[in-house]
Amino acid sequence: MPSWTQLQPFIVTGLSLGGVYALSGTGIVVLYRTTGVLNLAFGAIGMFGAFLSWQLIHEEGWPQGLGFLAAVAFSVVAMWLYGMVFGPPLAQRDPLVKASATLGFALILLGASSWIWSAAGGATRFQPIPTDTHHFSVGEAMVNWTQVIALAVGVLVVVLTGALLRFTRLGTAMRALANDREVSAVLGVPVRRVEAVAWLWAGVLSGVSGLLLSDLVGLDQVTLTFIVLISSVAAALIARLRSILGTLVAGLGIGLVDACAQPFSGISRYHDMAPFVLALVGLLFVTRKGGALAGRRIV
Amino acid sequence: MIEIDGLTLRYGGVTPLDSVTIQFPMGTNGLIGPNGAGKTSFFNVMSGFARPQEGTITAFGEDLLAMPHFRRARWGLRRTFQTEQAIQELSIYENVALIHEHAKADTTGTSRREDILGAIEFVGIKSDPYAKVASLSAHERRLVELARAVVGKPRVVLLDEPAAGLPDDETVQMGEVIKRIPEHMDALVILVDHDMTLVQNTCTKVAVLDFGKLIADGPTAEVLRDEQVMRAYLGTAEVKA
Amino acid sequence: MRLPALGTIRVSRTDGIRALVVLGLMAIGLFLLPAVLTVDWMGVLAAAACYTITALGLGILVGRVGLVSMGQVAILEIGAWIGARLLFATSLPYPVVIVITAILTGVIGTIIGLPALRLSGLYLALITLMLAGAVTILLSVTNFPNGAGGFLGYDSSTTIPPSIRRPSIADSDTGFWRYALVVTLIMFLVALWHVRSKPGRAWAAIRQSEPSAMAAGINITFYKLWALLLASTLTGVGGALLAGSSGQLYQTAFSTDQSIQLLAVVLMGGAYTLWGALVAGFLFSVVPHILDLWHLNSSLLLILFGVGVLQVLTTAPQGIAVQFPKDMANLGRLIWRGVRLVVPARGGAGA
Repeated sequence: MPSWTQLQPFIVTGLSLGGVYALSGTGIVVLYRTTGVLNLAFGAIGMFGAFLSWQLIHEEGWPQGLGFLAAVAFSVVAMWLYGMVFGPPLAQRDPLVKASATLGFALILLGASSWIWSAAGGATRFQPIPTDTHHFSVGEAMVNWTQVIALAVGVLVVVLTGALLRFTRLGTAMRALANDREVSAVLGVPVRRVEAVAWLWAGVLSGVSGLLLSDLVGLDQVTLTFIVLISSVAAALIARLRSILGTLVAGLGIGLVDACAQPFSGISRYHDMAPFVLALVGLLFVTRKGGALAGRRIV
Repeated sequence: MIEIDGLTLRYGGVTPLDSVTIQFPMGTNGLIGPNGAGKTSFFNVMSGFARPQEGTITAFGEDLLAMPHFRRARWGLRRTFQTEQAIQELSIYENVALIHEHAKADTTGTSRREDILGAIEFVGIKSDPYAKVASLSAHERRLVELARAVVGKPRVVLLDEPAAGLPDDETVQMGEVIKRIPEHMDALVILVDHDMTLVQNTCTKVAVLDFGKLIADGPTAEVLRDEQVMRAYLGTAEVKA
Repeated sequence: MRLPALGTIRVSRTDGIRALVVLGLMAIGLFLLPAVLTVDWMGVLAAAACYTITALGLGILVGRVGLVSMGQVAILEIGAWIGARLLFATSLPYPVVIVITAILTGVIGTIIGLPALRLSGLYLALITLMLAGAVTILLSVTNFPNGAGGFLGYDSSTTIPPSIRRPSIADSDTGFWRYALVVTLIMFLVALWHVRSKPGRAWAAIRQSEPSAMAAGINITFYKLWALLLASTLTGVGGALLAGSSGQLYQTAFSTDQSIQLLAVVLMGGAYTLWGALVAGFLFSVVPHILDLWHLNSSLLLILFGVGVLQVLTTAPQGIAVQFPKDMANLGRLIWRGVRLVVPARGGAGA
């Protein structure tokens, strides 16, 4: 049984990772609510962006800031392009088909990045961010500024997105789309434009979370694509793919449970199962409460 | 005989059915009204998709609302939908068989195969029963749905615009089949349709809904002459008759 | 001419042709392939058979019921673990091990899907995606049995682990490939029986429209559960076979992206027909080996699968198994037309 002092560093890790999960979870929820696409390429897009910035900074000698910007720019363009090319032909299809199609995009990005940046030779890549080296201590734990940024950006983005949805005209349009696309279109909501904004915003979030994670977790294709995707999707799932605030809480919770399970000897090695276990518990809770089908349209 | 008493259905601020009290006697009954009058909502309550806030439905002496929806099919409730429901990749036979087997239809004195082929013959499908539904004409696809609704000793058959999209002569043919259901299948039919010719030709009794309320009810000829009914229709939709 | 009906299952003339094709394929698989291919290939083909069986289950889930599992390789991994454990721990005949593994895997797969099943299909897809990640982690800790005792049957100090046992009649690689092929045929028959009888019709009705299926008296949850159970059970059969086929199992062969790739090849192969599973097994196990032989980067495969999924979902939802013969027929017509354009021209010149 670890003591409180031993646990503290893990809480710091957990909160910073949780912040990023909340960040990407929010991106997934907003995009899903607005366009009906549950984007499973979310992790892969951020991953590719992070690798691209590594290439630009460490191989091509770009300034760091510019390299990071390029990563986000790539994610935004990739996300938006996917939305514009594959959104319309799949618009009338089942959400399941839309989600499966994004897996195709994820596989392409995964394959392309493994090809370009092959792991052969055992070379490990690091993506240090300047804020890594500045740290301070809270209690017994050392905290570096990247971790603070991860948590802060996570919380900030969630609050910002929530406020946008609630208080701006664009946000109202997005919520209207989430409710009923056909009716919104008839009422004069510019469906295509609102959707484009959602894709762009999701691109920003995926790019930023890809960068942060490449620093916090490491530059590895499969980890960045799946482990991260699974945690963020779990957060979104626990929030019933609906609530932004719920995604924040669930994201932080998953990060915390995952990290804090590490010092416990019995479950230490299983700590990465946290998203699955929490999502399963969340699902059981949802189905037990019933009402999951209450809002469903029949006929 | 189906007795409906004080049936009310509300969704938030909308009341698709507003204390409807009506009796449907054995035979073919029409249920008409302008769009949004509550006809399909009534069918949804009958088949268990919507739960009414108030009222009772007694069908042949049994409380229908007390049964879960899949039990209603076993009890003998059949229904068609406005949109086509015949399954394209299955054959005509399989389409009808699936209703028969899942409704656990009683086969005393006959076999499942005889029942199914009987229903297909009854509605007048000329194609090979083992042909895929995808290969049929719109008319025959609609007939497959009708066969699904009459197979396996039904007690109540709900038809929601069964002839939608068909040309006049085929609609007339379908009307002839519908008219024979009560006698041949010993089932009570309720027909929802906008085609007044079809309703006139097939139904002995008609009920009219408007904004969830029952505004007229009686023998077909009388009801269709009723001024209130004319107004309800002329206000929103064109009378086809 | 109408052939007699077998209960509610009717045998048509096209079924006769299909049976002949299957017999031909079986003959090629049992006799021709072992004669012309190396022993190396026999191992690859046996693995392909295991993945074909898994793809068969997944295909039914996706194509017939409209449910998607994004973690079927994780279920396969569970099946392979159970199979390996039983084969080390007991001296039960191989077919018995397959049956027990199938049942256990079926139950586990169903229980995991149960909470999501009552929600929409999207929730089942997502929970299985998470399962894929979780099982990967679980197995990387417990490892596959290597002949040791205890519940887990793994001992890290074993340097040369014994091979997982194979049936005595199929101990060689060629023998095991033939054995796997026969099991695959049996599983296809099981799947065929399902889609042609009562559950198959219920699935068709559910996929068409849930309200309409409900009105027909179909217990939707029950039949979805049945599909999930069937898919997991078939996957368990694949797992038990894979254990014997591989001899030694390693967690790295079952990574999360494998589950996604399997879903990709099932969609590409075509989930609406059982033939799609053959295409899926070929794409998943045989094509990588060919790329290997040609010294091509295996990342190419991921890109290919990604493009394939997007192409299939946007333009040809029936998949390769249906589309390819059509494409070939079109190509044939095109060539024929070309030939006819050229030939009369010549004839005209000669006259």
